[in-house]
Amino acid sequence: MDNSRHDRNNRVMTSAPHPAPLLEARALRFLRQDEPVFGPLDFALRAGEVALVEGDNGSGKTTLMRVLTGMLRPGEGEVRLDGAAFSLDTMAGAVVFLGHHLGLKLDLSARENLRVSVGLYGQRQGTSANAALAEVGLAGFEDEPVRRLSAGQKKRAALARLLLLPARVWLLDEPYANLDREGIALVNRLLEGHAGRGGAALVTSHGAVSFAGGEPRRIRLHA
Amino acid sequence: MTPGSTSAACAALLRRDLTLAWRRRGDIAMPVLYALIVATLFPFALGPEPTLLARIAGGVVFVTVLLAVLLSLDNLFRADIEDGSMEQLMLAPQPLALLVGMKILAHWITSSLPLIVVAPLLAGMLKLPAPATPVLVFALVLATPLLSLLGAVLVALTAGSRRSGMLLALMLLPLCVPVVIFAAGAVAAAQEGLPWIAPIAWLGAGLAMAVVLAPLACAAALRIAMDT
Repeated sequence: MDNSRHDRNNRVMTSAPHPAPLLEARALRFLRQDEPVFGPLDFALRAGEVALVEGDNGSGKTTLMRVLTGMLRPGEGEVRLDGAAFSLDTMAGAVVFLGHHLGLKLDLSARENLRVSVGLYGQRQGTSANAALAEVGLAGFEDEPVRRLSAGQKKRAALARLLLLPARVWLLDEPYANLDREGIALVNRLLEGHAGRGGAALVTSHGAVSFAGGEPRRIRLHA
Repeated sequence: MTPGSTSAACAALLRRDLTLAWRRRGDIAMPVLYALIVATLFPFALGPEPTLLARIAGGVVFVTVLLAVLLSLDNLFRADIEDGSMEQLMLAPQPLALLVGMKILAHWITSSLPLIVVAPLLAGMLKLPAPATPVLVFALVLATPLLSLLGAVLVALTAGSRRSGMLLALMLLPLCVPVVIFAAGAVAAAQEGLPWIAPIAWLGAGLAMAVVLAPLACAAALRIAMDT
């Protein structure tokens, strides 16, 4: 592996030594028909850290997310979760993924959608669906079929899932898309709360994002 | 049931799919109406002679039900793949095969069970002798889940491709030949007053094997379909 290229591709700040990182990528590369999509990429996310994956359209942000969830097999390198090699069979449920497709059933209400997610993934202690929906600003729309919600409200319904599920690692692909200014603040608030509870999150965005609570780490992908 | 346990996940998914089907009740009626209309066409095409109809009744009902099941199979995983629900299922802590099995069960309840309920009516219209009707229903109870399971594997395999309806039919129908032979064979035997348990036992054996293997194959195929 060519080290100079490696440095150019990833600008990752190093932080103080800690116990095993929650999510770690080691020399991660993804090839599609022998064409490199991204990488090699090295980063480690520790408890309480939020990192922003930056890159232009087509630089492989979504692909990186899908590799980190285990849905795509990386070409080279490895993903480690809580210090152990990650595979869908053993570690599923430890990460929660929010992608371009929100995974909401349009014929069900936001509350019913949450109930399905909680049934599949479990529920974090001290949370309730009503409180989560109120927090994301869907109070009064809990029982409305998701089909009737606006694009931004659908996104909020999907974000409510993050509040309920116990996973410590969040992988959010373009969580800011379709959201108004208040919605963007909401995502930042959710991320801060998650980091405060000792979780870690990786967020992709192709736009400029500013965090209220300090600058997040940045991982840069080149097309 | 604690949330996140395997039983809770299965219950949540089954409930979700049944609720979704109930919200679109019209879709449940579609295969039933289709089967009714196809079965009605036979007396028109062949003439209303009772002895002829009685002889072909069993076979006509099975083929009709098979085609109606095929019609409803196409959408088994597509909606979930398109709206991202499949990603959520794949990342859930439970084995994907089990969750897929629940989806197949929900599909069988919403599409095949109504067909089994109207099957005696279809058989009556085609003048199937009354003593053979319970055997027909029994054979359908074993044959339709077998069709759903076989079909689900092929739906999962073609999940990546657009407009896979015809491809699905071309792949599934040859696999259904043994199912139709055993199911129609049982009804024919019952009509002639012969023992009919042997073909039913074959169906049962096939079903037992499919229940174990088909969800695993589905899960593997879906993983490949999503790996693009």
